[in-house]
Amino acid sequence: MKLAELQRYFAAAATSSSGAILGLEEVFLGSDSLSPSARLGIYNRGYYYRLLDALASVFSETKRVLGDARFEQLGLTYLSRHASEHPAVERVGRKFPEFLRTLGPAPDPVLADVAALEWARLCALVAADPATLARPESLEPAHFPDARLRFVASLQCLALDARALRVVEGGAWPTSEPARETGVAVWRPAHALLQTQLEPVEYRALRAALGDAPMSYVCAIFDTGKGQDDEERAFLALRGWFSRHWVEEVDSCGP
Amino acid sequence: MRRAPVAQQALSHDGAATCPTAAVVRVGIGLRVPHYDAILQRGISVDFAEAISENFVARGGRARSVLTRVRADRDVTLHGVSLSIGGIDPLSESYLKGLVELAREIEPMSVSDHLCFGTFGGHYAHDLWPLPYTEEAILHVVERVQRVQDRLGRRLLLENVSSYVEYRQSVLDEWEFLSEVVTRADAAILLDVNNVFVSSKNHGFSGSDYLAGLPRERVHQIHLAGHSDAGGYLLDDHGSAVSEPVFRLYEEAILRFGPVPTLLEWDERVPELAVLEAEAERAGERAQRRLGRQTGTAQRGEHEAR
Repeated sequence: MKLAELQRYFAAAATSSSGAILGLEEVFLGSDSLSPSARLGIYNRGYYYRLLDALASVFSETKRVLGDARFEQLGLTYLSRHASEHPAVERVGRKFPEFLRTLGPAPDPVLADVAALEWARLCALVAADPATLARPESLEPAHFPDARLRFVASLQCLALDARALRVVEGGAWPTSEPARETGVAVWRPAHALLQTQLEPVEYRALRAALGDAPMSYVCAIFDTGKGQDDEERAFLALRGWFSRHWVEEVDSCGP
Repeated sequence: MRRAPVAQQALSHDGAATCPTAAVVRVGIGLRVPHYDAILQRGISVDFAEAISENFVARGGRARSVLTRVRADRDVTLHGVSLSIGGIDPLSESYLKGLVELAREIEPMSVSDHLCFGTFGGHYAHDLWPLPYTEEAILHVVERVQRVQDRLGRRLLLENVSSYVEYRQSVLDEWEFLSEVVTRADAAILLDVNNVFVSSKNHGFSGSDYLAGLPRERVHQIHLAGHSDAGGYLLDDHGSAVSEPVFRLYEEAILRFGPVPTLLEWDERVPELAVLEAEAERAGERAQRRLGRQTGTAQRGEHEAR
Protein backbone atom coordinates (compact mmCIF):
# COMPACT_ATOMS: atom_id res chain seq x y z
CA MET A 1 0.00 0.00 0.00
CA LYS A 2 1.10 3.56 -0.67
CA LEU A 3 1.25 6.05 2.20
CA ALA A 4 -2.04 7.67 1.23
CA GLU A 5 -3.83 4.34 1.10
CA LEU A 6 -2.38 3.28 4.45
CA GLN A 7 -3.52 6.50 6.08
CA ARG A 8 -7.04 6.20 4.68
CA TYR A 9 -7.18 2.61 5.92
CA PHE A 10 -5.93 3.57 9.39
CA ALA A 11 -8.39 6.47 9.63
CA ALA A 12 -11.26 4.22 8.57
CA ALA A 13 -10.39 1.77 11.33
CA ALA A 14 -9.76 4.41 13.97
CA THR A 15 -13.00 6.28 13.28
CA SER A 16 -15.28 3.38 12.39
CA SER A 17 -18.56 3.46 14.28
CA SER A 18 -19.61 0.00 13.15
CA GLY A 19 -16.48 -1.81 14.34
CA ALA A 20 -15.90 -4.20 11.44
CA ILE A 21 -12.83 -3.44 9.34
CA LEU A 22 -11.55 -6.28 7.19
CA GLY A 23 -7.92 -7.24 6.64
CA LEU A 24 -6.29 -5.55 9.64
CA GLU A 25 -3.87 -8.47 10.04
CA GLU A 26 -2.49 -7.85 6.57
CA VAL A 27 -1.61 -4.24 7.36
CA PHE A 28 -0.74 -4.16 11.04
CA LEU A 29 1.44 -6.27 13.30
CA GLY A 30 -0.06 -7.97 16.31
CA SER A 31 1.41 -9.83 19.25
CA ASP A 32 0.43 -12.72 21.52
CA SER A 33 -1.20 -10.35 23.95
CA LEU A 34 -2.77 -7.89 21.51
CA SER A 35 -4.17 -8.58 18.07
CA PRO A 36 -4.12 -5.88 15.37
CA SER A 37 -7.85 -5.49 15.92
CA ALA A 38 -7.35 -4.90 19.66
CA ARG A 39 -4.56 -2.43 18.93
CA LEU A 40 -6.70 -0.43 16.48
CA GLY A 41 -9.48 -0.59 19.06
CA ILE A 42 -7.32 1.51 21.38
CA TYR A 43 -7.24 4.25 18.74
CA ASN A 44 -10.95 3.85 18.00
CA ARG A 45 -11.98 4.26 21.66
CA GLY A 46 -9.49 7.10 22.06
CA TYR A 47 -10.94 8.90 19.05
CA TYR A 48 -14.56 8.79 20.15
CA TYR A 49 -14.11 9.34 23.87
CA ARG A 50 -11.64 12.19 23.48
CA LEU A 51 -14.13 13.99 21.26
CA LEU A 52 -17.03 13.08 23.57
CA ASP A 53 -15.09 14.68 26.44
CA ALA A 54 -14.66 17.78 24.33
CA LEU A 55 -18.41 17.89 23.63
CA ALA A 56 -19.18 17.40 27.32
CA SER A 57 -16.89 20.25 28.32
CA VAL A 58 -18.67 22.67 25.97
CA PHE A 59 -22.23 21.38 26.42
CA SER A 60 -22.23 20.78 30.17
CA GLU A 61 -25.82 22.00 30.71
CA THR A 62 -27.08 20.04 27.73
CA LYS A 63 -25.45 17.01 29.32
CA ARG A 64 -27.03 17.77 32.69
CA VAL A 65 -30.47 17.89 31.10
CA LEU A 66 -29.98 14.75 29.02
CA GLY A 67 -28.24 12.70 31.68
CA ASP A 68 -24.87 10.98 31.21
CA ALA A 69 -26.09 7.90 29.33
CA ARG A 70 -28.35 9.74 26.88
CA PHE A 71 -25.70 12.40 26.28
CA GLU A 72 -23.12 9.72 25.53
CA GLN A 73 -25.48 7.96 23.15
CA LEU A 74 -26.41 11.15 21.28
CA GLY A 75 -22.83 12.44 21.40
CA LEU A 76 -21.40 9.29 19.86
CA THR A 77 -24.08 9.32 17.15
CA TYR A 78 -23.26 12.94 16.42
CA LEU A 79 -19.52 12.24 16.26
CA SER A 80 -20.03 9.33 13.90
CA ARG A 81 -21.74 11.76 11.49
CA HIS A 82 -19.73 14.93 12.09
CA ALA A 83 -15.96 14.65 12.24
CA SER A 84 -14.00 17.64 13.50
CA GLU A 85 -13.26 20.39 11.00
CA HIS A 86 -11.09 22.59 13.22
CA PRO A 87 -7.60 22.21 14.70
CA ALA A 88 -8.96 23.07 18.17
CA VAL A 89 -10.77 20.06 19.61
CA GLU A 90 -13.65 21.86 21.33
CA ARG A 91 -14.84 23.14 17.94
CA VAL A 92 -16.01 19.62 17.11
CA GLY A 93 -19.39 20.61 18.56
CA ARG A 94 -20.15 23.30 15.99
CA LYS A 95 -23.04 21.39 14.48
CA PHE A 96 -24.23 19.74 17.69
CA PRO A 97 -27.12 22.19 18.35
CA GLU A 98 -28.41 21.65 14.82
CA PHE A 99 -27.99 17.90 15.23
CA LEU A 100 -30.16 18.02 18.37
CA ARG A 101 -32.73 20.12 16.51
CA THR A 102 -33.08 17.48 13.83
CA LEU A 103 -33.89 14.81 16.40
CA GLY A 104 -37.50 15.97 16.36
CA PRO A 105 -39.93 16.16 19.23
CA ALA A 106 -37.89 13.94 21.57
CA PRO A 107 -35.83 15.16 23.29
CA ASP A 108 -37.50 18.51 23.88
CA PRO A 109 -36.71 21.02 21.10
CA VAL A 110 -35.69 23.59 23.74
CA LEU A 111 -32.65 21.39 24.27
CA ALA A 112 -31.25 22.48 20.91
CA ASP A 113 -31.52 26.08 22.10
CA VAL A 114 -29.68 25.19 25.30
CA ALA A 115 -26.89 23.72 23.16
CA ALA A 116 -26.95 26.74 20.82
CA LEU A 117 -26.49 29.08 23.77
CA GLU A 118 -23.63 26.96 25.14
CA TRP A 119 -22.00 27.03 21.72
CA ALA A 120 -22.36 30.82 21.57
CA ARG A 121 -20.77 31.06 24.99
CA LEU A 122 -17.78 29.00 23.83
CA CYS A 123 -17.37 31.19 20.73
CA ALA A 124 -17.43 34.31 22.89
CA LEU A 125 -15.01 32.81 25.38
CA VAL A 126 -12.28 31.94 22.89
CA ALA A 127 -12.71 34.85 20.47
CA ALA A 128 -9.73 37.05 19.69
CA ASP A 129 -9.42 40.25 21.69
CA PRO A 130 -10.41 43.45 19.88
CA ALA A 131 -7.56 45.63 18.68
CA THR A 132 -9.46 48.76 19.70
CA LEU A 133 -12.86 49.80 20.97
CA ALA A 134 -14.88 52.45 19.21
CA ARG A 135 -16.53 55.38 20.95
CA PRO A 136 -19.97 56.76 19.99
CA GLU A 137 -18.29 59.97 18.79
CA SER A 138 -16.80 57.93 15.97
CA LEU A 139 -20.25 58.01 14.36
CA GLU A 140 -19.91 61.37 12.68
CA PRO A 141 -23.25 62.95 11.77
CA ALA A 142 -22.15 63.66 8.20
CA HIS A 143 -21.37 60.00 7.55
CA PHE A 144 -23.97 58.46 9.83
CA PRO A 145 -26.44 57.09 7.22
CA ASP A 146 -23.78 55.11 5.37
CA ALA A 147 -21.62 54.17 8.35
CA ARG A 148 -21.28 50.53 9.33
CA LEU A 149 -20.32 49.07 12.68
CA ARG A 150 -17.59 46.45 13.05
CA PHE A 151 -18.24 44.40 16.14
CA VAL A 152 -15.83 42.67 18.50
CA ALA A 153 -15.23 39.02 17.67
CA SER A 154 -16.66 37.80 20.97
CA LEU A 155 -20.15 39.19 20.31
CA GLN A 156 -22.66 36.45 19.57
CA CYS A 157 -26.29 37.22 18.79
CA LEU A 158 -28.93 34.53 18.62
CA ALA A 159 -32.67 33.97 18.96
CA LEU A 160 -33.88 31.17 21.20
CA ASP A 161 -36.64 29.99 23.47
CA ALA A 162 -36.34 31.96 26.72
CA ARG A 163 -36.70 28.71 28.66
CA ALA A 164 -33.25 27.68 27.39
CA LEU A 165 -31.78 30.66 29.25
CA ARG A 166 -33.18 29.39 32.55
CA VAL A 167 -31.69 25.97 31.92
CA VAL A 168 -28.23 27.31 31.15
CA GLU A 169 -28.44 29.36 34.34
CA GLY A 170 -28.86 26.07 36.21
CA GLY A 171 -32.67 26.05 36.35
CA ALA A 172 -34.81 22.97 36.72
CA TRP A 173 -35.76 20.78 33.80
CA PRO A 174 -38.36 20.28 32.41
CA THR A 175 -39.68 23.75 32.90
CA SER A 176 -43.33 24.66 33.22
CA GLU A 177 -42.81 28.08 31.63
CA PRO A 178 -44.58 28.74 28.32
CA ALA A 179 -42.48 28.99 25.18
CA ARG A 180 -41.32 32.52 24.32
CA GLU A 181 -38.74 33.50 21.75
CA THR A 182 -36.16 36.06 22.76
CA GLY A 183 -33.00 37.59 21.36
CA VAL A 184 -29.81 37.06 23.32
CA ALA A 185 -26.40 38.67 23.06
CA VAL A 186 -23.34 36.98 24.54
CA TRP A 187 -19.97 38.70 24.77
CA ARG A 188 -16.73 38.82 26.74
CA PRO A 189 -15.53 42.31 27.62
CA ALA A 190 -12.41 41.04 29.43
CA HIS A 191 -12.21 37.56 30.95
CA ALA A 192 -15.79 37.09 32.11
CA LEU A 193 -18.67 36.07 29.85
CA LEU A 194 -21.73 38.30 29.88
CA GLN A 195 -25.12 37.82 28.27
CA THR A 196 -28.26 39.89 27.99
CA GLN A 197 -31.73 39.48 26.53
CA LEU A 198 -32.67 41.79 23.70
CA GLU A 199 -36.05 43.25 22.81
CA PRO A 200 -37.22 41.88 19.43
CA VAL A 201 -36.60 45.19 17.66
CA GLU A 202 -33.09 45.53 19.07
CA TYR A 203 -32.35 41.93 18.16
CA ARG A 204 -33.39 42.57 14.54
CA ALA A 205 -31.34 45.78 14.42
CA LEU A 206 -28.27 44.09 15.86
CA ARG A 207 -28.57 41.19 13.40
CA ALA A 208 -28.76 43.71 10.58
CA ALA A 209 -25.75 45.64 11.86
CA LEU A 210 -23.77 42.41 12.25
CA GLY A 211 -24.73 41.66 8.66
CA ASP A 212 -23.01 44.87 7.49
CA ALA A 213 -26.16 46.97 7.07
CA PRO A 214 -25.61 50.75 7.07
CA MET A 215 -26.83 52.79 10.03
CA SER A 216 -29.71 54.24 8.00
CA TYR A 217 -31.08 50.71 7.55
CA VAL A 218 -30.37 49.69 11.15
CA CYS A 219 -32.14 52.73 12.56
CA ALA A 220 -35.12 52.28 10.22
CA ILE A 221 -35.82 48.98 11.99
CA PHE A 222 -36.85 50.99 15.06
CA ASP A 223 -39.33 53.00 12.98
CA THR A 224 -42.91 52.28 14.05
CA GLY A 225 -44.23 55.67 13.00
CA LYS A 226 -44.06 57.09 16.52
CA GLY A 227 -41.42 59.67 15.66
CA GLN A 228 -39.46 60.76 18.71
CA ASP A 229 -40.15 57.55 20.65
CA ASP A 230 -38.64 55.49 17.84
CA GLU A 231 -35.61 57.74 17.65
CA GLU A 232 -35.10 57.50 21.37
CA ARG A 233 -35.27 53.71 21.31
CA ALA A 234 -32.77 53.60 18.48
CA PHE A 235 -30.50 56.01 20.32
CA LEU A 236 -30.65 54.00 23.56
CA ALA A 237 -29.93 50.75 21.76
CA LEU A 238 -26.95 52.19 19.91
CA ARG A 239 -25.59 53.78 23.05
CA GLY A 240 -25.85 50.38 24.76
CA TRP A 241 -23.85 48.70 21.99
CA PHE A 242 -21.00 51.13 22.53
CA SER A 243 -21.15 51.15 26.32
CA ARG A 244 -21.08 47.34 26.44
CA HIS A 245 -17.93 47.42 24.32
CA TRP A 246 -19.51 45.57 21.40
CA VAL A 247 -18.24 47.97 18.74
CA GLU A 248 -14.63 47.63 17.67
CA GLU A 249 -14.67 50.10 14.85
CA VAL A 250 -16.93 52.47 12.91
CA ASP A 251 -16.51 52.23 9.18
CA SER A 252 -17.60 55.53 7.70
CA CYS A 253 -16.47 54.70 4.20
CA GLY A 254 -19.17 52.20 3.34
CA PRO A 255 -18.66 48.81 1.68
CA MET B 1 28.41 11.14 16.13
CA ARG B 2 30.24 13.66 18.33
CA ARG B 3 28.15 15.49 20.86
CA ALA B 4 27.71 19.15 20.01
CA PRO B 5 29.06 21.48 22.68
CA VAL B 6 26.40 23.22 24.72
CA ALA B 7 27.64 26.54 23.39
CA GLN B 8 26.79 25.37 19.91
CA GLN B 9 23.31 24.42 21.05
CA ALA B 10 22.92 27.93 22.36
CA LEU B 11 23.26 29.22 18.83
CA SER B 12 20.63 26.90 17.49
CA HIS B 13 17.49 28.29 15.87
CA ASP B 14 15.14 27.38 18.65
CA GLY B 15 17.28 28.74 21.44
CA ALA B 16 16.74 25.53 23.37
CA ALA B 17 19.79 25.98 25.52
CA THR B 18 20.21 29.59 26.42
CA CYS B 19 22.89 29.23 29.06
CA PRO B 20 26.04 27.85 27.49
CA THR B 21 28.25 27.77 30.56
CA ALA B 22 26.09 26.86 33.53
CA ALA B 23 24.78 23.61 32.02
CA VAL B 24 21.67 23.89 34.15
CA VAL B 25 18.81 21.65 33.10
CA ARG B 26 15.97 24.11 32.62
CA VAL B 27 12.58 22.74 33.55
CA GLY B 28 9.10 23.70 32.43
CA ILE B 29 5.43 22.86 32.76
CA GLY B 30 2.47 22.96 30.40
CA LEU B 31 -0.10 25.74 30.72
CA ARG B 32 -3.38 24.10 31.73
CA VAL B 33 -6.78 25.70 32.34
CA PRO B 34 -7.12 24.65 36.03
CA HIS B 35 -3.99 26.68 36.78
CA TYR B 36 -4.96 29.87 34.95
CA ASP B 37 -6.12 31.80 38.02
CA ALA B 38 -3.01 30.91 40.00
CA ILE B 39 -0.74 31.79 37.08
CA LEU B 40 -2.43 35.16 36.53
CA GLN B 41 -1.88 35.85 40.21
CA ARG B 42 1.72 34.76 40.71
CA GLY B 43 3.18 33.50 37.43
CA ILE B 44 5.14 30.25 37.46
CA SER B 45 8.20 29.29 39.49
CA VAL B 46 9.85 27.01 36.89
CA ASP B 47 12.03 28.15 33.99
CA PHE B 48 9.60 27.95 31.12
CA ALA B 49 6.05 27.07 30.12
CA GLU B 50 4.61 25.22 27.18
CA ALA B 51 1.54 26.56 25.41
CA ILE B 52 -0.49 24.17 23.28
CA SER B 53 -0.53 26.17 20.04
CA GLU B 54 -4.14 25.32 19.12
CA ASN B 55 -5.35 26.80 22.41
CA PHE B 56 -3.80 30.17 21.66
CA VAL B 57 -3.84 30.71 17.89
CA ALA B 58 -6.22 33.60 17.11
CA ARG B 59 -7.60 33.57 20.64
CA GLY B 60 -8.01 36.19 23.30
CA GLY B 61 -9.48 36.37 26.77
CA ARG B 62 -8.13 34.62 29.82
CA ALA B 63 -5.98 32.14 27.91
CA ARG B 64 -4.15 34.93 26.12
CA SER B 65 -3.74 36.92 29.34
CA VAL B 66 -2.15 33.86 30.96
CA LEU B 67 0.26 33.47 28.07
CA THR B 68 1.16 37.16 28.18
CA ARG B 69 1.64 36.99 31.95
CA VAL B 70 3.97 34.00 31.73
CA ARG B 71 5.90 35.41 28.79
CA ALA B 72 6.59 38.60 30.75
CA ASP B 73 9.25 36.85 32.84
CA ARG B 74 9.68 33.34 31.47
CA ASP B 75 10.42 31.55 28.23
CA VAL B 76 7.56 29.90 26.41
CA THR B 77 7.47 27.02 23.94
CA LEU B 78 4.70 26.56 21.39
CA HIS B 79 3.71 22.93 21.08
CA GLY B 80 1.12 21.83 18.54
CA VAL B 81 -1.05 18.75 18.24
CA SER B 82 -2.91 19.36 14.97
CA LEU B 83 -0.30 20.15 12.35
CA SER B 84 -0.49 16.58 11.01
CA ILE B 85 2.98 16.88 9.56
CA GLY B 86 2.83 13.34 8.21
CA GLY B 87 -0.71 13.57 6.88
CA ILE B 88 -1.67 13.32 3.24
CA ASP B 89 -4.17 16.17 3.59
CA PRO B 90 -2.74 19.56 2.62
CA LEU B 91 -1.28 21.52 5.53
CA SER B 92 -3.92 23.89 6.87
CA GLU B 93 -3.03 27.31 5.56
CA SER B 94 -5.17 29.14 8.12
CA TYR B 95 -3.64 27.20 11.01
CA LEU B 96 -0.11 27.79 9.72
CA LYS B 97 -0.81 31.49 9.29
CA GLY B 98 -2.12 31.69 12.84
CA LEU B 99 0.87 29.78 14.16
CA VAL B 100 3.31 32.06 12.37
CA GLU B 101 1.55 35.12 13.80
CA LEU B 102 1.51 33.67 17.31
CA ALA B 103 5.21 32.78 17.09
CA ARG B 104 6.04 36.27 15.85
CA GLU B 105 4.17 37.77 18.76
CA ILE B 106 5.31 35.43 21.54
CA GLU B 107 8.88 34.81 20.36
CA PRO B 108 8.92 31.29 21.80
CA MET B 109 12.11 29.41 22.55
CA SER B 110 10.83 26.62 20.31
CA VAL B 111 7.95 25.60 18.05
CA SER B 112 7.12 21.92 17.96
CA ASP B 113 4.57 19.35 16.87
CA HIS B 114 4.35 15.57 16.57
CA LEU B 115 5.83 13.19 14.03
CA CYS B 116 2.55 11.54 13.10
CA PHE B 117 -0.63 12.19 11.15
CA GLY B 118 -3.92 13.36 12.56
CA THR B 119 -6.05 14.47 9.66
CA PHE B 120 -8.20 12.48 7.26
CA GLY B 121 -10.31 13.72 4.37
CA GLY B 122 -10.23 17.30 5.59
CA HIS B 123 -11.07 16.33 9.17
CA TYR B 124 -9.10 16.39 12.40
CA ALA B 125 -8.69 13.26 14.52
CA HIS B 126 -7.32 15.17 17.51
CA ASP B 127 -5.11 12.15 18.00
CA LEU B 128 -1.52 11.30 17.14
CA TRP B 129 -1.69 8.47 14.65
CA PRO B 130 1.56 6.65 13.83
CA LEU B 131 3.20 6.69 10.42
CA PRO B 132 4.69 3.72 8.58
CA TYR B 133 8.47 3.89 8.77
CA THR B 134 9.18 3.86 5.06
CA GLU B 135 11.23 5.88 2.58
CA GLU B 136 8.02 7.19 1.03
CA ALA B 137 6.90 8.52 4.40
CA ILE B 138 10.31 10.12 5.05
CA LEU B 139 10.21 11.97 1.72
CA HIS B 140 6.64 13.09 2.35
CA VAL B 141 7.31 14.37 5.88
CA VAL B 142 10.64 16.04 5.08
CA GLU B 143 9.07 18.12 2.31
CA ARG B 144 6.29 19.27 4.63
CA VAL B 145 8.65 20.02 7.53
CA GLN B 146 10.78 22.16 5.25
CA ARG B 147 7.72 24.09 4.11
CA VAL B 148 6.66 24.72 7.71
CA GLN B 149 10.18 25.78 8.69
CA ASP B 150 10.28 28.18 5.76
CA ARG B 151 7.06 29.75 6.94
CA LEU B 152 8.16 29.94 10.56
CA GLY B 153 11.66 31.09 9.70
CA ARG B 154 12.98 28.70 12.31
CA ARG B 155 13.65 25.07 13.00
CA LEU B 156 10.67 22.87 13.90
CA LEU B 157 11.00 20.37 16.75
CA LEU B 158 9.33 17.02 16.09
CA GLU B 159 8.12 14.87 18.95
CA ASN B 160 8.07 11.09 18.86
CA VAL B 161 4.56 9.82 19.68
CA SER B 162 3.55 6.87 21.81
CA SER B 163 1.95 4.15 19.71
CA TYR B 164 -0.08 0.99 20.05
CA VAL B 165 0.27 -0.49 16.57
CA GLU B 166 2.98 -1.00 13.95
CA TYR B 167 2.66 -1.29 10.18
CA ARG B 168 3.84 -4.42 8.44
CA GLN B 169 5.26 -2.16 5.72
CA SER B 170 7.71 -0.39 8.03
CA VAL B 171 11.30 -1.05 7.03
CA LEU B 172 12.99 1.09 9.68
CA ASP B 173 12.93 1.24 13.45
CA GLU B 174 11.10 4.24 14.83
CA TRP B 175 14.30 5.95 15.96
CA GLU B 176 15.87 5.46 12.54
CA PHE B 177 12.79 7.02 10.93
CA LEU B 178 12.83 9.97 13.33
CA SER B 179 16.56 10.50 12.83
CA GLU B 180 16.28 10.42 9.05
CA VAL B 181 13.41 12.92 9.01
CA VAL B 182 15.05 15.50 11.26
CA THR B 183 18.45 15.15 9.60
CA ARG B 184 17.18 15.49 6.04
CA ALA B 185 14.80 18.32 6.96
CA ASP B 186 17.34 20.02 9.23
CA ALA B 187 14.76 19.91 11.98
CA ALA B 188 15.21 19.00 15.66
CA ILE B 189 13.84 16.44 18.07
CA LEU B 190 11.54 16.94 21.01
CA LEU B 191 12.24 13.66 22.73
CA ASP B 192 9.31 12.41 24.78
CA VAL B 193 10.95 9.91 27.10
CA ASN B 194 7.63 8.63 28.42
CA ASN B 195 6.52 7.95 24.84
CA VAL B 196 9.73 6.03 24.18
CA PHE B 197 9.08 3.95 27.29
CA VAL B 198 5.39 3.33 26.51
CA SER B 199 6.10 2.33 22.90
CA SER B 200 9.06 0.18 23.91
CA LYS B 201 6.77 -1.87 26.16
CA ASN B 202 3.92 -1.94 23.63
CA HIS B 203 6.15 -3.10 20.78
CA GLY B 204 8.97 -4.90 22.57
CA PHE B 205 12.04 -2.83 21.78
CA SER B 206 14.71 -1.37 24.04
CA GLY B 207 14.33 2.23 25.17
CA SER B 208 18.11 2.45 25.50
CA ASP B 209 18.54 1.37 21.87
CA TYR B 210 16.09 4.09 20.89
CA LEU B 211 18.11 6.78 22.67
CA ALA B 212 21.40 5.45 21.32
CA GLY B 213 20.05 5.64 17.79
CA LEU B 214 19.23 9.36 17.86
CA PRO B 215 21.65 12.06 16.64
CA ARG B 216 22.81 13.81 19.79
CA GLU B 217 22.95 17.31 18.41
CA ARG B 218 19.34 17.24 17.23
CA VAL B 219 17.67 16.56 20.59
CA HIS B 220 16.67 20.05 21.73
CA GLN B 221 13.97 19.39 24.27
CA ILE B 222 12.64 16.56 26.42
CA HIS B 223 9.11 15.76 27.58
CA LEU B 224 8.26 13.73 30.66
CA ALA B 225 4.81 12.49 31.67
CA GLY B 226 2.96 9.73 33.44
CA HIS B 227 1.33 6.68 31.88
CA SER B 228 -0.93 3.91 33.10
CA ASP B 229 -1.05 0.14 32.76
CA ALA B 230 -4.19 -0.63 30.75
CA GLY B 231 -3.77 -4.38 31.10
CA GLY B 232 -1.84 -5.80 28.18
CA TYR B 233 -0.44 -2.47 27.12
CA LEU B 234 0.71 0.86 28.52
CA LEU B 235 -1.47 3.90 27.89
CA ASP B 236 0.12 7.31 27.50
CA ASP B 237 -2.52 9.23 29.48
CA HIS B 238 -0.51 11.99 31.19
CA GLY B 239 -2.57 11.36 34.28
CA SER B 240 -0.03 10.64 36.98
CA ALA B 241 3.47 11.38 38.23
CA VAL B 242 6.43 10.25 36.15
CA SER B 243 7.18 6.60 36.90
CA GLU B 244 10.55 5.44 38.18
CA PRO B 245 11.43 3.47 35.01
CA VAL B 246 10.73 6.57 32.92
CA PHE B 247 12.90 8.65 35.23
CA ARG B 248 15.72 6.14 34.80
CA LEU B 249 15.38 6.33 31.02
CA TYR B 250 15.34 10.11 31.33
CA GLU B 251 18.63 10.03 33.22
CA GLU B 252 20.06 7.95 30.41
CA ALA B 253 18.83 10.53 27.94
CA ILE B 254 20.36 13.40 29.90
CA LEU B 255 23.69 11.61 29.99
CA ARG B 256 23.58 11.13 26.24
CA PHE B 257 22.09 14.43 25.11
CA GLY B 258 23.30 16.81 27.82
CA PRO B 259 21.37 19.41 29.80
CA VAL B 260 18.38 19.58 27.49
CA PRO B 261 15.39 21.70 28.62
CA THR B 262 12.84 19.35 30.12
CA LEU B 263 9.10 19.80 30.31
CA LEU B 264 6.66 17.96 32.55
CA GLU B 265 3.25 17.21 31.01
CA TRP B 266 0.15 16.45 33.08
CA ASP B 267 -3.25 16.50 31.35
CA GLU B 268 -5.60 14.19 33.26
CA ARG B 269 -6.43 14.53 36.97
CA VAL B 270 -4.27 17.66 36.93
CA PRO B 271 -2.80 18.45 40.39
CA GLU B 272 -2.31 21.87 41.95
CA LEU B 273 0.14 24.17 40.20
CA ALA B 274 2.62 23.92 43.08
CA VAL B 275 2.60 20.12 42.86
CA LEU B 276 3.29 20.26 39.15
CA GLU B 277 6.10 22.74 39.63
CA ALA B 278 7.63 20.57 42.37
CA GLU B 279 7.47 17.53 40.09
CA ALA B 280 9.23 19.46 37.32
CA GLU B 281 11.89 20.63 39.76
CA ARG B 282 12.34 17.03 40.89
CA ALA B 283 13.03 16.04 37.29
CA GLY B 284 15.56 18.84 36.97
CA GLU B 285 17.29 17.81 40.18
CA ARG B 286 17.54 14.18 39.08
CA ALA B 287 19.00 15.25 35.77
CA GLN B 288 21.42 17.57 37.49
CA ARG B 289 22.55 14.88 39.91
CA ARG B 290 23.05 12.48 37.03
CA LEU B 291 25.18 15.05 35.28
CA GLY B 292 27.29 15.20 38.43
CA ARG B 293 26.66 18.83 39.08
CA GLN B 294 25.15 20.75 41.93
CA THR B 295 21.59 21.71 41.39
CA GLY B 296 19.15 23.94 43.17
CA THR B 297 17.74 27.34 43.45
CA ALA B 298 21.04 29.08 43.97
CA GLN B 299 22.50 27.95 40.69
CA ARG B 300 19.23 28.60 38.91
CA GLY B 301 19.16 32.02 40.52
CA GLU B 302 22.65 32.82 39.28
CA HIS B 303 21.61 31.77 35.82
CA GLU B 304 18.61 34.06 35.84
CA ALA B 305 20.63 36.96 37.23
CA ARG B 306 22.98 36.75 34.27
